[in-house]
Amino acid sequence: MQTINLTSIKKEFTVEASQRIAFEVFTQKMDLWWPRKHHIGSSDLTEVVAELNEGGRWYTKHTDGSEAPIGYVQTYRPYDLFVLVWQIDGDFKCDPNLSTEVVAEFIPEGPKTTRVKFEHKDLHKLGSGKVVESMDQGWGEIMEFYKKQFTLNNN
Amino acid sequence: MNVNTAFNALGDPTRRAIFEKLQDRPLAVVDIADGLPISRPAVSQHLKVLKEARLINLRTVGNNNIYELNREGIIAMRNYLDKFWDDALANFKALAEQTEKDKK
Repeated sequence: MQTINLTSIKKEFTVEASQRIAFEVFTQKMDLWWPRKHHIGSSDLTEVVAELNEGGRWYTKHTDGSEAPIGYVQTYRPYDLFVLVWQIDGDFKCDPNLSTEVVAEFIPEGPKTTRVKFEHKDLHKLGSGKVVESMDQGWGEIMEFYKKQFTLNNN
Repeated sequence: MNVNTAFNALGDPTRRAIFEKLQDRPLAVVDIADGLPISRPAVSQHLKVLKEARLINLRTVGNNNIYELNREGIIAMRNYLDKFWDDALANFKALAEQTEKDKK
């Protein structure tokens, strides 16, 4: 049975392209592969930008001239490793105190074959506000249940 | 804490099977029980645990109790991101392969 991993999303696949091309398309052409409907801006998306240096901004530009942050670039190491920090939380707002890592590794398997190991980590940090409150309530109920079981077993 | 609650609830293989069934669409108890090697009351007990962990919601439609995934919170966000990255990475793969071809 497939295990549901709640705290990270992993994807691994091969691309029929050299390591260098795979890395460059991922980092420099993000605007061309980003699904256009996915953003938290106030109007339609015009461009996705990742500034290619460590600490560089990662954000979207919109038709009304505004920008919406996604996070920042943590590691830019051509042509094998790119790490972004995603700061959009469970309420679809950018939270500067939140950091969840998006890691892309590029492993050459041939002159025109590259294995990509992708992971979006620390997803448990994304819940916030109401969500955490309701979850904490659920946790409290489970603790109560454990306590009851413990009492029963010791009587 | 929130993840622990969800993990506890999903620590049981039957509950994981139920949770996976509901990822496709909302279902009545009779449909959830279908194919599971346990009694209807046992299914109801598992549903109660999943509901208390806020992983699923109960909705009443006419005389039927329908269970569905809780679209709020961490599970919803995880499912959303999983689909998002699938789409994004498929686009990326196609673009990288096209770029490699065009280089010739």
